[in-house]
Order: sequence, then structure tokens, then C-alpha cells
Amino acid sequence: MHISDGVLPLPVVAGGWIITIILLAVTLRWAGRHGDIAKEIPKLSVLTSAFFVASLIHIDIPPSSAHLILNGLLGIFLGPLCYVAMFIGLILQALLFQHGGITVIGINTLNIGIPGLICYLVFLAGYRRKIPLTLLGGICCGLAVLLTVVCLVGVLVISGEQFVTVAGLLAVAHIPIMIAEAVVGGAVVGYVARVKPELLPIPLAGGKSEDQNNNENEA
Amino acid sequence: MHYPDIDKYAGMDSPVHRIEPRIKIISFGILIVSAVFVGTIPASLFFLAVAVVILLASRLPMRFILTRMKVICVFVIPILVLMPLTVPGTPLFSAGPVSISQEGVSFAVLVTVRSVTAILLVVTMLGTQRFDTTLKALSLLRVPGIIIQMLLFTYRYIYVMIDEFLRIWSSMRAKGYTFRFNRHGLTIIGNLIGMLLINSYERAERVYQAMIAKGYTGNPISFSPFRVTIPDCLFCAAVITLAVGVHINYLEIL
Repeated sequence: MHISDGVLPLPVVAGGWIITIILLAVTLRWAGRHGDIAKEIPKLSVLTSAFFVASLIHIDIPPSSAHLILNGLLGIFLGPLCYVAMFIGLILQALLFQHGGITVIGINTLNIGIPGLICYLVFLAGYRRKIPLTLLGGICCGLAVLLTVVCLVGVLVISGEQFVTVAGLLAVAHIPIMIAEAVVGGAVVGYVARVKPELLPIPLAGGKSEDQNNNENEA
Repeated sequence: MHYPDIDKYAGMDSPVHRIEPRIKIISFGILIVSAVFVGTIPASLFFLAVAVVILLASRLPMRFILTRMKVICVFVIPILVLMPLTVPGTPLFSAGPVSISQEGVSFAVLVTVRSVTAILLVVTMLGTQRFDTTLKALSLLRVPGIIIQMLLFTYRYIYVMIDEFLRIWSSMRAKGYTFRFNRHGLTIIGNLIGMLLINSYERAERVYQAMIAKGYTGNPISFSPFRVTIPDCLFCAAVITLAVGVHINYLEIL
């Protein structure tokens, strides 16, 4: 869920931009520790656009319909680079589709980016504990949405007490999205682990034997 | 799923289309920021009027604008409905436990007007020039190269990925898939996304190798065909005067 322009007060918006710019610098340096990040731009961009398109898929959740956020998956697949990918994705969503405002890109990136980074770490930790990949992917993706809702509610409550009810309502509305996202995310991780495990941030040898039996692929 | 045709009408001609891209971005940026953080309803209505005047001058088709406006309803309508009911204050109207407060109503109106103004300005700015022109202007305005390049590449590959998605989607539909909100339906969507990612990863490898072959080093080379004219400067000056004027006026009222 993106906040649109004109809702939040100036200090919150400015704070969001400052933290986002710092995090962009930090994550780019973190990701660039093994070489020049500039050369990765084409690859990263193609993956970013794939996630962008995937997040446009409409899911009919009984009373209405929703888009997936997919920040947990971005975190798992791109690692520290997920932050810049989400930043780019949100700029393009604001500019091309008017989803979310342009002055609040900082705050919106923060809301989905920090959960993404956390999910990356959770995924690595969970993998070391030998949790089955499909389950782990589901947990991470659900957790990412949960954390996003927490951030969103936090931002709205900081912005003014008049937003408390709206924030509560938004949180409730996100429960079905969280469930959908966990199931979809688990399926994506399971599928990729079977078909192309080198996309996941895991050592290749022996890492892909879990849940072969789950579901057959389509298309 | 539709293509993001934000610059569908960039080929038209109007005073707004003719403004130099960098000047346009700066002026609209100033207008958007001042419209979004304005504190009173009259001032916000003033900015809305400015946005509408610029929009009319740009001669963009109304249908295009209205389709673009639809998306903010998701966030704004709940606020418009809930704020009057939940913000405590002087009751304007009350029936039993439900009471509508004056503060709530004015806050909701303020938020709505600000959001609508911002979106009108954004759509007018982006609708009147090609998207790659916007990015080029941003790069000349010293936005970091890595951001510009990622925006350019991602923008370009969104079209490719939409095609890719539609291809997989129509083959799924041809095999009888319809979406249901249950574990099976969601798992299939998950597989679809997984396939999209794997396809895109393989494509990314090829794109990367093709670009290396063409001498890509990560640093763009760009030329500037833009020329700032006197009307551009006048427009920018007018916008700055307006924005600063309204905000100073508002501070004095305080």
C-alpha cells in the first residue's frame, strides 16, 4: 500500500527521504564490496522490471482486489540491492501509474525496503537452520508484509493522531494480502529452488533437495 | 495489465509541451512541493486552480487525466470517509453515536485537495514530454547516474516483461486456468512469478553480455540538445513567485 501525496506532514516526508538516501548509500556500498556495482546495472534492472510487472498482477481477494507487494521476495532474491530496486520500482510506479505520490517516495521506500532487508537476513538465518525452502519463503514473504504494515501504521501514527483509525483499518485490510503473499512467495521460492537454484542466495550443493514433491509446474 | 503509456500525448503541441524539460521539472517540482505542504484550505484551492489552469493550457485529453486520477481514490476515499467520523472536535452534525466533526471535515478536504493537485501536476508534467526526455533532463540536473540508468533500463524492460507475462498468462488461460482465492490458485500465481523471474534472469545475462560487447562500462555518455528560452525563464520565475508568495502569506496569517 502506498501513501499518496498530500497526506503526510513535511517533517515526516523529509525524514523519510533522509533515511532512504542514507540507506541507499549504505546498501549500495554493502552490495558493492565484491566489485564494481555499475556493471551490475543491466542485470539488476531487468530483474527489477520483472518484479515490477509481477507486482502489477491483480489478485481477487473476495470483497475487492489487490496487488502483491513482493518486498519479501525482492529481499530474498536481490539481497542488499533490493533497497535500490524498490526505490526505482516506486519511482516508476509513481511516475508511470500514479501509485503513491512522488514527494512520499522516501517514506514509501522505507516502508517496504526495511522489511525487505530484514527478510534477506531472516532467509539466510532460516536456511542455515535447514528450514524447508518453500516454508521459509512463505514465512519471509508473510513477515515482510507484516513488517510493512507495522511501518505504515507507525508512519501514520507519527504523522498525527487523526490517522489512527485509518491506520487500523489499513492494517486489517492487509491481513488477506499477507496470507496471499505468504502462499505466493513460498511457491515462488519453491519453484525457483527446483528450476534455477542459483538465483537464490544459497550455496548450490545439496541445497535444493527439499520439497520436490510439492507441485508440478505449469505453462 | 496495460502498458504504462504516460507519454502517449507527448507528440502534441501546446505552451506546456514547449517548455524546456529541465525548467519544466524544476518548476513543476516547486509547485508540487508547495501544493503538498500547504496548510489551509483556501491556499490549497489556489494551488488546485493553478494546476487546472496549467492542465487546460496543456490541452491533454480529459479522459487521459481521469483514468490517471482513479488510482489515488484507493487512499483518499477512506480518508475522506473516515476522517470526519473519527477526528474529535466541534460536532457539525450528529445522529446518535455518529458525529461528524468540523475539524475532521476540513482536514479531509485539505488532504483530498492536496492529493488531487499533486496528481494533476504530475500527470501534466509527465504527459507533455517523452519519458526518456524526462530522464535525460533529470540526468542533466545531476541526479546520480546509477539511478538514471536503472530507471532507463527498468522502464524499457517493463514493456518486455509485460509482454512476457501476457504470453505466459494467455497460455495458462488457454489451458483452462481461472483464479480462485485458495492455496492452489495462489501457488499457480507463485509459479508464474517464479517463471517470470527465471526468464528475466536469463534475459538479463544475455542483455548484459550484449552490452559488454558494445563497450558498456557503467558510465553513460550523453549530449544535451536542450535550450532554455526566455518564456521558459518567465514561467519558472512566475511559479517560484507564486509558491513563495502563498507560503509567506500563509505564515503571516499565522
